[in-house]
Amino acid sequence: MKPQALHPPKWPLKFLRFFLKEEYLEEIEGDMEEIFYENVERFSVRKAKRIYAWEIIKLLRPNLIRNFEFVNQLLQYSMLKNYFKVSVRGLLKSPVNSFINIFGLAAAIGFCIFFYAFVVYTYKRDQFHENKDVVFLSTFTASREGALRQYGLSPRPLGELLKQDFPQVTNICRVEDRNVIVKHGDNIFNERIRFVDPAFLDMFTFPLKWGVSASLSDVNSIVISEPMAEKYFGDENPIGQSLLVKFSAENGKEFKITGVANKFPSSRSFDFHFLINFENLRTAQPGFDLHDWSAFHQATFIQVAQPSDIKIIEAGMDKYKRTQNESVEKEWAIAAFQFEPLATAHIKTDEIREDVFREGTHSNITSIKFLTGVCILMMLLACFNYINIAISTSVKRLKELGVRKTIGATRKLVIVQFLSENIVVTFFAMIFGILLGWLVVIPWFEGLWHFSMEFSLNDPRLWVYLPIIMLITAIASGIYPAIYISRFQTVTILKGSVKFGQKNPITKIFLGFQLVLACMFITSAIVFTMNGDYLANRSWGYSNRDVIYTAVESESVFQQLNDVMQRNPKVLSISGSAQHIGKNHQTTILHFPDKEFEADRLSVGPTYFNTMGIELVSGRAFKDFEGSDRNAVIVNETMAKNLSWVNPIGQQFKIDSITYEVVGVAKDFHSYSFFSLLRPTFFTVADKNDFRFLALKVSREQEQSAFEDLKKAWATLYPEIPFNGGYQENVWGNYYEQMGIHGHVWRVFASVAVILAMLGLYGLVAINISGRVKEFSIRKILGANYKNITNNIFKQYYVLIIGSLFVSVPLSFIFIKSVLDFAYDYHMPVTIWVVMMAASLLIAVVIATVATQIIKVFKANPVEGLKTE
Amino acid sequence: MKKTKLGEFEELVLLTVAALQQDAYGVEIKRELESRLKEKLSVGSIQSALKRMEDKGFLTSQFGEATAKRGGKRKRIYATTSHGRKVLEEMKDIRTQLWSAIPKLAFELKAI
Repeated sequence: MKPQALHPPKWPLKFLRFFLKEEYLEEIEGDMEEIFYENVERFSVRKAKRIYAWEIIKLLRPNLIRNFEFVNQLLQYSMLKNYFKVSVRGLLKSPVNSFINIFGLAAAIGFCIFFYAFVVYTYKRDQFHENKDVVFLSTFTASREGALRQYGLSPRPLGELLKQDFPQVTNICRVEDRNVIVKHGDNIFNERIRFVDPAFLDMFTFPLKWGVSASLSDVNSIVISEPMAEKYFGDENPIGQSLLVKFSAENGKEFKITGVANKFPSSRSFDFHFLINFENLRTAQPGFDLHDWSAFHQATFIQVAQPSDIKIIEAGMDKYKRTQNESVEKEWAIAAFQFEPLATAHIKTDEIREDVFREGTHSNITSIKFLTGVCILMMLLACFNYINIAISTSVKRLKELGVRKTIGATRKLVIVQFLSENIVVTFFAMIFGILLGWLVVIPWFEGLWHFSMEFSLNDPRLWVYLPIIMLITAIASGIYPAIYISRFQTVTILKGSVKFGQKNPITKIFLGFQLVLACMFITSAIVFTMNGDYLANRSWGYSNRDVIYTAVESESVFQQLNDVMQRNPKVLSISGSAQHIGKNHQTTILHFPDKEFEADRLSVGPTYFNTMGIELVSGRAFKDFEGSDRNAVIVNETMAKNLSWVNPIGQQFKIDSITYEVVGVAKDFHSYSFFSLLRPTFFTVADKNDFRFLALKVSREQEQSAFEDLKKAWATLYPEIPFNGGYQENVWGNYYEQMGIHGHVWRVFASVAVILAMLGLYGLVAINISGRVKEFSIRKILGANYKNITNNIFKQYYVLIIGSLFVSVPLSFIFIKSVLDFAYDYHMPVTIWVVMMAASLLIAVVIATVATQIIKVFKANPVEGLKTE
Repeated sequence: MKKTKLGEFEELVLLTVAALQQDAYGVEIKRELESRLKEKLSVGSIQSALKRMEDKGFLTSQFGEATAKRGGKRKRIYATTSHGRKVLEEMKDIRTQLWSAIPKLAFELKAI
C-alpha cells in the first residue's frame, strides 16, 4: 500500500480540530485514527475514509463542540424569538409594503425555480443510459470548404472490423434508417424504420414494457416504441401481432412484434419508432454492399469495456483511415476518426453533421445563458424593491432601534436583527415562489413548447439549491439596509434629529436602475413581437401561399398524378422535380480549377420556376430539357456573391468530371426558414425518371379545395400508399409558432419586470406621501390645486425619470440589437423609434403609478390629514 | 434516585466501563458494546455519553499510554466512581424488584 493512503483524510480532521473542545481533542482524534486503521484493514481505503468523515460529522454534538463566542453572542434563542415576532408584526402592520416585498421576491424565486428545472432538464439529457460512458459514436472529421467539419457517419465495414481487431470493443451497433410504409389492417402510414444490430437494446437503456429485448436477434422480429404501439393497436398489448413493412412498392416483409419499449424519458436526443434486425437491410435493398468502404452507414456505435479504452482504439485508427482514403475520391478524404461518448454527444450533436441524433442541447444551452441573465435581473429588481422600501420605512423604526441600542444591543446585533427579519420575509417569499414556479411558470413554459421537463419537488438537489437562493436573496437584499440603519447613533436618534429615508441618493439610484431594466425588457417584448410580424410578412423569395406539393415514388406515379391533375381547372401549373425547395436538396461539391465549393443542388423539371414563382435576375431560364441544357445551371444570388463572380453568366465548373455552365441567376429564396442563412444553391435540369416531387400552383383562394382534390386523386390511384404531401407554406414546420413563442416569452418577462419596477415605485411614492400628509393638507387648505400638488410630487422624480431615460434608451437599443443579431440571421431593422416606443410606454406606466397616489392625496380630507398623530 | 438521571444508553456504557476495567477507553468501549448489542455505534454517541456521565460524576478518567496505531495520541481510560457504581446497583435493584413483582401481579390479576 502507498504510504500516503495510510493517513486519515485531511479535511474532516481539520474540521474536527475546529469544532471539538480542546480538552477532548487528543483522545477523540486518537480514537478516530485507531478506528480508521482498523477499517483500512477490513475495507478499502476509500470506504475507511468515508466512514471516518461520516463519523466526524456525527461527532457534532452539543456537549462535544467548543463554545464559540460569536455564536453564543448572536444566537440567543429568546432574542431570535423576539426578532421573529417583530418581523411578523412588521409584515402585518404594513400589508402593502409586505405584499410588494414578498410578491417581488416570490416572482424572482419562481423564475429561479423554473431556471433550475430547465438546467436540470437540459443536462440530464441522455443520462439515463447505463452505458453512457462506455458507448461511443464513431465520427470522422474532414476538410470541407477549407474548414474542418465533423460528420456522424462511418464507413460501412468499420464496425465489424473494430470488433474483430480490438479486444476492448465488447459490442457494436450499426444504425441505418429507411422510409417505409407500415401496414396493419386498415392502418397504413409512412414511417421511418431503424435497422440495428441486436446489441442495440443492450448498449442503450430503453427498457421494454412488453416482450424481450433479446428477440431483436431474430430477423423476423420488430420492436416498437410506445407511441407506435398506441398508434397501431391502441391500448392492447401488441406482442405477437404482425406488421407488414413495405420497403418499396414491390418489396415487403411481414414482421412479428416481440417488444414494446417503455415511454422514453423526455430529455433524450436518441430514440426509435421501429427497430428491426440489421440483416433485413439485405432484404430491403438487394445488393446492399456491407463491405463498400466508399459508402457510409448512418451511424456506428461501439461499446468498450472501460471508458479509457477508447484512447487505445483512437490510437489504432490510422490503418482504417488509410483504407478509407484509398477507396474514395480525393475530395472525400477524411482527416481522422473520432469517437464521441454517448454521455456528452447531446452537447456536440449540433456541430456534428449528418448524425442520427435529433436536435441537440446547443440551443438550450444558449437559452440557459439568456435565462441566467433574466433571472439575475429579476432578482436585482426584487432586491432593489426590498432595499428601497426597507430604507424608507426604517424611519418609522428609528425609535425601536434607539431603545434596542440603549438597553444593550450592539451594532452587530442590530444587523443580525434586520437580516433575520429579512430571512423571515424571504422564507415566506420562497414558499410563494415555489408555488409560483411549480404551478405557474413551469407549466406555462412547458405548454408553450409542448414538452415536459419532468420537474418534481422530490429532487434532493432542489432542496440544496433553494436554501442557497433564499440565503443569497436574504443577504443581498438585507445587508445594505441593515448596515445603513444600524449606523445611526443612539443619542441622535432619541433626540429626534435624524432625518433620512426620503432623500437617500442610493434609493434613487436603485429606482433609476429598475427603470432602465424595465425599459430594456419592454423594448425586447416590443421588438420580438414586431419581429414576428415582420418575418411573417417577409418574402420567402418565391410564392409559398398558392403552391401545394406531394412526394411521389417514381416517374410513373408522377405521370399518372400529373394526368389527373392536369384536367383540374384550379391548377394553374404543374411541375416535377427531383428535389423540392423546403423539403430536401442534394449537397454537391463543385470543382473549379483552383478550388472546391459546396452548394445545394435542386434538379427540376421544365415548369418548376413558373410553378414556384422563382424570379430570374439575369440570364435565361432552362429551354431545352432533353438536350443542350443538360449541362446548364442556374445559380442563386448568394452563390454568385460567395464565388465573387462579377458576371456569373458563362462561368463554368465541374461536378463528377462533367462540365456545367451557368446560364442564369435566380433571385435569392429561403429554403429552410429564416433561422438558417441563405445557402449557395443552384438548379440543374432533372431527368423525368428522377422526379420525386410534384408541385402544383393553384388559383388563389382555391388552395384548400385543390389540396383535397389532390388527396382524393391519390387515394383513388394508390389506396395502399399513404399520401405524403402538403401546403408549401407549411414546409417550415412550426417555425411561425416558434416565432410567436419568442414574442410571448419576452412579453411575459417584460410584464413581470414592469410590474416589479412599478411596485417598487408605488411603494416609494406611497411612503413618501404618507410622510408628508400634513404638508399636503396645509397646502390644500391654503388653496393648492391639482396642478400644484402634482408638480410638487413629481418634482422629486423628474430628474430621476429623465436621467434613467437618457441611460436606458441607448442601452436598450444596443441590447436589443445584439440580442436580435445573436438569435436570428434575418430580422427586422432595429430603429431608435422602437426603443422610443418602449420608453414612452414606460413613462406612461410611471405616470399612471404616481397618479394613483396624487389622486389619493387630492381626494383626502385635509382635516383628517392634519389630525393624524 | 431522581437526581441521578441515568439514561438507558448511558447505563449500558457505564456498565461496559465497569466491565472493561483497565481497558476502558473509547474504541474498546465501542467495540465491546457493538459486539454485545450486535449493532453499529458511532464514536459521537459513545463519546457524548461518556462526557455527559463524567459531568454527572458517574465516571472519572485519566490519560493512558500512547500507541503508534493512534498516531502517538494518548488514550483516555475511564473508570466508574463509587457514586456511579452505587447508581448502577440501585438501578439493578429496582429492576430485580420489578421483575419479582411480575408473576405476583399476573397471578393476582388472573384471580380477580
